[in-house]
Amino acid sequence: MKKQTCFGSRFFIGLVFLFLYAPILLLIIFSFNAGDSSAVWKGFSLHWYRELFQNRIIMESVYITLLVSLLATLIATVAGTFAAIGLYSLGRRKREALMTVNSIPMMNADIVTGVSLCLFFVAFFQFWGVFAHWVNGVQSLFELPERLTLGLGTLLLAHVAFNIPYVILNVAPKLRQMDKNLIDAAQDLGCTWMQAFFKVMLPEIKSGIVSGALIAFTMSIDDFVISYFTAGSSSSTLAMTIYGMTKRRITPEVNAVSTLLFVSVLVLLVISNLRELQQERRPVRRKKRLHIAVPPGAKRLAAAGAACAFVITIGVLSSAATSQPVVNVCSWGEYIDTDLITQFEEETGIRVNYQTAESNETLYSLLKSGGADYDVIVPSDYMIAQLIEEGMLEKLDYSQIPNYSLIDQRFKNLSCDPGSEYTVPYAWGTLGIIYNTALVEEEITSWSSLYDDKYAGNVLLINNSRDALGEALMYLGCSVNTTDEGEIRAAYDLLADANRRGVFQGKVMDEVFQKMEGGNAAIATYYAGDYISMLDNNEDLAFVIPEEGSNWFVDAMCVLKDAPHQEAAHQWINFIASTQANLANMDYIGYASPNREALEQYPAYYEELYGEELDQELYEIMAAPPEVLDRCEAYLNLSPATRSLYNELWTKLGI
Amino acid sequence: MRNKLSGFAVPYVIWMALFVVIPILIMVVYAFTTAEFEGTLENFSEMGIYASVFFRSFRLAFIATLVCLLIGYPVSYWMAREGPAFQRVAMALIMLPMWMNFLLRTYSWMSILENNGLLNQFFGRFGLHFQMIGTPGAVVLGMVYNYLPFMILPIYSVIVKLDHSLLEAARDLGANSAGVFRKVILPLSLPGVLSGVTMVFVPSVSTFAISRLLGGGTQMMLGDLIEQQFLGGAYNPHLGAAISMVMMIVVVVCMVVMNHFGEGEEQAVML
Repeated sequence: MKKQTCFGSRFFIGLVFLFLYAPILLLIIFSFNAGDSSAVWKGFSLHWYRELFQNRIIMESVYITLLVSLLATLIATVAGTFAAIGLYSLGRRKREALMTVNSIPMMNADIVTGVSLCLFFVAFFQFWGVFAHWVNGVQSLFELPERLTLGLGTLLLAHVAFNIPYVILNVAPKLRQMDKNLIDAAQDLGCTWMQAFFKVMLPEIKSGIVSGALIAFTMSIDDFVISYFTAGSSSSTLAMTIYGMTKRRITPEVNAVSTLLFVSVLVLLVISNLRELQQERRPVRRKKRLHIAVPPGAKRLAAAGAACAFVITIGVLSSAATSQPVVNVCSWGEYIDTDLITQFEEETGIRVNYQTAESNETLYSLLKSGGADYDVIVPSDYMIAQLIEEGMLEKLDYSQIPNYSLIDQRFKNLSCDPGSEYTVPYAWGTLGIIYNTALVEEEITSWSSLYDDKYAGNVLLINNSRDALGEALMYLGCSVNTTDEGEIRAAYDLLADANRRGVFQGKVMDEVFQKMEGGNAAIATYYAGDYISMLDNNEDLAFVIPEEGSNWFVDAMCVLKDAPHQEAAHQWINFIASTQANLANMDYIGYASPNREALEQYPAYYEELYGEELDQELYEIMAAPPEVLDRCEAYLNLSPATRSLYNELWTKLGI
Repeated sequence: MRNKLSGFAVPYVIWMALFVVIPILIMVVYAFTTAEFEGTLENFSEMGIYASVFFRSFRLAFIATLVCLLIGYPVSYWMAREGPAFQRVAMALIMLPMWMNFLLRTYSWMSILENNGLLNQFFGRFGLHFQMIGTPGAVVLGMVYNYLPFMILPIYSVIVKLDHSLLEAARDLGANSAGVFRKVILPLSLPGVLSGVTMVFVPSVSTFAISRLLGGGTQMMLGDLIEQQFLGGAYNPHLGAAISMVMMIVVVVCMVVMNHFGEGEEQAVML
């Protein structure tokens, strides 16, 4: 093709690159932000890079990402190469049929592959449970584990499964190009079968194998959706960690880790390009290698990335923790003072695998879909009742939790756990309206403002069915625990109507932090404790419990049925129930503590810590006084029929 | 020799049966059953409610694919006409963003498009304000941004390998530049366009992270609907499986129809 360059075309390409790189540049810039916002610049700092290496969740997910990608690439490359050879030697019709099946994972949407694999694994686990139980019953020589869960193993299998097709697709054309008589000739000349393979066939298809492996690796690293459905709770890749964070607040540590990965790939790329350039200047130009449709930059890029990944894996591997006792905890986002985790680990030597869920409803989905491998969970009252009803919780051994005695009487024998058999309260609080006084002129006192055209496009609806419909019910003057279908449908109609009129900017859970702090929305509903955290970043925010009343809730620690680490779970619960831990948590998350001593001592604790007196008004928002609680109603467990009505309406609301 | 080697295919056939065919069959079983695993067609008969989600998903994915094509084709075409050094650097620059997690890049767009984000802060100086986040446009932008490389790569790799003598022959036979492009380059680059379209359309139509982040949960797509039934706030894997199945069938039909126009050029050019 005639090489002609014109200004217009370069300008266009430049614009496209600007489009591709502007957000990345922004990410890199904000990794140096002194504050923790991704929109408000507060000065230059390397703080987040230091934090990064202390942040175990991120470091572990980087490690898992690299480990899984490397292993999956390795396995898929070997298996895919042999599969391609096998397919190549089949007859045409058989081969084409198999190649069609082979292309299914590539053609299918990731979410379909992820979902179907997830269902497959869970079905297999159920089958295995029955089988292992039977095997353990008939013989006593060895014992098979009866309980399998999604985890690193299934994640790896899924990655291998979607990587193999790419390897085959790259190796197959090379095999077709190869002279079919070569191998026969080699064997005629006395080569053994193995020799023929290694000396004749392999060199012919090598470039296909390499590009297949590199594509597989890139796909593995970049994958989110399939991992999301198959990794379960115990192992999360970097993409999953980031997704979890986008739901609340991306800490700039993630910007930092991405910047580091990005810059290392960039540096390796530049080095390899420079070397290439030097080689090209030499008189004898290297023979252009044959690629199958792999663009020239891609290979080098992937190679650079792989090298960089390898180094990091070795680094992290050498520092990775070995077989230590573990406890798997699942809680909410921004819901613990992370120093407590370190402290607990130092005291007991038990490693805490700390995960978060978004809402009670998503936690339930996670538990039901078999993906969760938790020991301790921290659901809210109504969900606890539902889990107890479905036999998903284990009774606690309170003799192992002496700190339970410190829990205030108000939070014992809760309606969801009348005999106090399953729960140790973690925190409590109220639901209310948070609004930005800079954007809202009047004083908000009623739930009605959530559905008001005046604030169209500026209201954030809370993204869980119970709270969102509950608010509408309260506005309509109904009980949040009504089982009357007409009332619930009326509440839905109210939401659907406001949604149609464009009142809601979006449905959010922990995204609310970033939205409200940044002044991106005027009104939201969320929990009192989180309002306290938001206030640190935006002083214009106000919190109100509407005149129609609201919901008050207790979140409590529970142990899941057949949890593998019962003892460690009890130790963790006891540790968190202590006064010291409750004080630290109360200060960090802003939710009120159910620990009697901690609740009383908090104002003094605050004064000692910050050298100023705790604002009484704030304290009352945190720990609502009895007269406010009287206006609030707790959620009760709903009947299965009402629950499925909630689910149905909630799904419908989104469409 | 050949027969000996065909033994290698056996483990892979078993593997595919286990990890490709059976999972999809299980999904189909879920789609046709209730929570108690009794046969039902309810999951499908109810699906009319979600017609708007199907419609929105396919519409937005279609627009995104079209925009990607309109941007991606000229870029690939012009890039292929540049010198080798330019091409190499440009290729690397197009691939490089894939090493920064796509969720993070999408999140970055969030901070640009927010009501109080960088763009609106800028427009604010002129007294202007645009609602960008939570609109269909923002979702399309997210798709185009994330999947544009998937459009450029296959088109570029086809164009760059075009036989130059063909172009010269066309010119010798009297075609002008427009004629050469329309009659030679365009038809020959069609396989690249087809695989680019596939690689943009399929992830676009099924995305859930992009619509969630940039659509603010108001632009529900098929992916969101499915995710919600499995790991989200309305647990019902049977309905989720049914929706996945319908989506899968519709996408496959689209692809078959499209590849039909490609006249048997289904040797998709991957990446």
